[in-house]
Amino acid sequence: MINRILTMFAEAKDLITKRLRNDDTYIEIAYIDSLCDESKISEAIFVPFSRNQKPFQEIVEFSSEFKPVHEMTEWTSSLLRGYVLVHINGKYYSYDASRNIRIETQTTQVESSIQGPQLALTEDLKDGLNLIRNRYPEPSLAVEERTLGTVSKTRIAILFDNRKVNSKVLKNVQKKLLEINSDMLHSAGEVVRELVGNRKQLFPTTLISERPDRISNSIAQGKIVILMHGSMFGIILPVTFFDLMNSMDDQYEGFWMSRTLLIMRYFSVLLTVTLPAMYISIVSYNPELFRVQLAFSIAGSRSAVPYPSFIEVLVMLFMIEMLVEASVRLPRYIGSTGTTVGGLILGQAAQQAGLVSSIMIIVTSVVAITNFVIPNNAMAFAIRFLKYPLILLAVFYGITGVCIGMFIYFVYLSSIRSFGVPYFRLHGKLTRSAEGDLGQVSST
Amino acid sequence: MNRYYYYSFLYVLLINIMMFVPNILIQNRFTGGVSSMLLAIPFGTMLVLVFSSSMTKFPGKAVPEILYERYPRWFVTPVMWVLASIYLLGSIIVLVAFSVVINRFYNPDTSSTIVLYLLIAACIYCATRTTLSLLFILEMLIIINAPLVVFVLGKALFTSDLDWDAMHTVANYVTVKPNLDSFAAATYIFSGYLNLSILNRALPPNFRLKHRWIIPLVGTLAMFTSVFIPIGFHGTEGVDEYLFIWSITADSMKMEFGFIERVLFLYLILYLNLTLLFTTFGWHKAMEFLKSTSKSYKPELDADKTPILNWVICGSFGLLTIIYSIVVDEKQNYNIAGKWLVIRFFTEVISAIWIFWLAYRVRSKSKSKSKINVKEQTESK
Repeated sequence: MINRILTMFAEAKDLITKRLRNDDTYIEIAYIDSLCDESKISEAIFVPFSRNQKPFQEIVEFSSEFKPVHEMTEWTSSLLRGYVLVHINGKYYSYDASRNIRIETQTTQVESSIQGPQLALTEDLKDGLNLIRNRYPEPSLAVEERTLGTVSKTRIAILFDNRKVNSKVLKNVQKKLLEINSDMLHSAGEVVRELVGNRKQLFPTTLISERPDRISNSIAQGKIVILMHGSMFGIILPVTFFDLMNSMDDQYEGFWMSRTLLIMRYFSVLLTVTLPAMYISIVSYNPELFRVQLAFSIAGSRSAVPYPSFIEVLVMLFMIEMLVEASVRLPRYIGSTGTTVGGLILGQAAQQAGLVSSIMIIVTSVVAITNFVIPNNAMAFAIRFLKYPLILLAVFYGITGVCIGMFIYFVYLSSIRSFGVPYFRLHGKLTRSAEGDLGQVSST
Repeated sequence: MNRYYYYSFLYVLLINIMMFVPNILIQNRFTGGVSSMLLAIPFGTMLVLVFSSSMTKFPGKAVPEILYERYPRWFVTPVMWVLASIYLLGSIIVLVAFSVVINRFYNPDTSSTIVLYLLIAACIYCATRTTLSLLFILEMLIIINAPLVVFVLGKALFTSDLDWDAMHTVANYVTVKPNLDSFAAATYIFSGYLNLSILNRALPPNFRLKHRWIIPLVGTLAMFTSVFIPIGFHGTEGVDEYLFIWSITADSMKMEFGFIERVLFLYLILYLNLTLLFTTFGWHKAMEFLKSTSKSYKPELDADKTPILNWVICGSFGLLTIIYSIVVDEKQNYNIAGKWLVIRFFTEVISAIWIFWLAYRVRSKSKSKSKINVKEQTESK
């Protein structure tokens, strides 16, 4: 066995091969040093083998930790996953001695919740499965395991509730997973991009989450979850626009305030998308839209600004986007400096210098803040983009252009399907009653 | 799925203002408009109920499929062409009228043709979407716009500027004999049910029309508000002087609180949405009718990829709209709208009766079949 393995691998110092013999048996073992936990190996193999209180072959045959390997093709893949290969009396076994380096802190970092569970998924697939199994103790929970990526061979697990899952969606997802033809896959985002297929899709049609509670909730709703080894995030699909606008806290907090917050969230999406465009169209096209006093005060604050409103808007939006972008990437210590400098320049100096109007500063900050309200990161990015085409329409058409642009956005949203499920559809009570749903006749 | 039916009923009902229905009725206010309106309520309701309940006998089938199954191709194809052109013309009238409204009330500096191009581009994109997507948009937009409708209506009804005496005066002309023009215009309020001729594909097989009382109630309300509120604002004589009567009426209202003072702007945003919705649906229906004339056509509710044919057909619709807007001016557009309303009225009646007859035959066939079954069963016993 050892000779064969040595021919299969390139010269690698951490590939350890040993031939061992005790009183009655002769074994060959091979493992990759850097992937394995040496103490595990010595505990399971070296110590019992050298003591030889029990014939080693019996140990191997009875223990469930040693799995028989039937195909020679499996050798390399199991070695590369941190397994130890054991050859004993013409039979081959593998033993899992893998050592995973991962972040130990398990608190949620991206999707924090005030009073909800604080536990997050870890980068280990097994731990992730453990967390979800614990939260979803149902026999109907199905777990399929696969590897993705021809080189990275990332292990993934597909989880769904057998009774609740939509079989059409499941088939669709499985087909698309098979079609993935990529070398390296390391993050959930890459998998999502490969799954969705349409590279130019603006809105996210999957939900990437690190919260086990969210994942188990989605499984209970009949959704499919993909967990990845080496990524702290699970992929939930199919999702709708409204799922992406939901935060977990909405389910944990009281009815009235969480509903009110939800309404405000949608309102803030409307603001962040339309406000810059509306500013342009009101200042440059229809100042008479506002009541006279307000129109005057806007015009007064703009009196020092020497250029048309859309240049003002573009300058300020560029500044705020750069500020946001910079503060995301900067280390924590410098981050606060960046925001202070940016805030001061944007807030005071620009206005006093007569570069922008003070109303424009309010507009910019409202746009930025309302965008942060969106709970999902991918969604927030998509919505952040939406304002630019509207600005273009506002420059040429005023309010009419903005309204038509919004209409087109609605149509675009409605025509998106997340793995065959309508993305932007309101579900009233009527759909859950005995009455049939739309599109039943033609789909069958 | 009744709500989708009522949404499609609602947006047509609201678009009547862009279709010059109030203008025609107001013109005939002393010569039979009021009695035509009263007559149109039972008649329109009857058409709605006859057509809708007949369509439920053909679950999942649109009018083209129903007709092609029963009649030879050479006979049905011209019918499809006629239906498509009627829908197309209706949407073009509304679109052109609204581009002029925007030019008059919103952006007097921009030419109405430039606005029209943008509207056309938006409608081409929207009409090429799948039927199912359009239903979702319909629901969304109706829900978003409903507060605006309620607000404008409430504002109109509860302001002190509304002159109820003028309305009384016009209402007293109820005894004058009705005429065809105003009768056809008034029945337009109910004509949203014709959406079912394509949307029936999407409705579930066990669809039954519930809450039928909504139809006459809402129809009556819409008809009377859209005619009598302008009369209340502008008086019995002055009301005749405007072409875009409702824009002027909305501009007569004022909001005392809040950022915006003039109701006109809310009204225009509302009708911009409705116009886009109406044109999108009109073109989509026309497109589906045209597509059904091809032999290899298969009705598809939610295709994964937008067929190129959709783009071609809707693109040519857009081109036709541009040509129309060049050839026809505002006054002619108004006159064409009046004629369109009459032609539409007759096609509506014919198609309702036709579908009713087909449904009747289907029912009698299935009844006789079940009778035969019963006989067979008794014989076998």
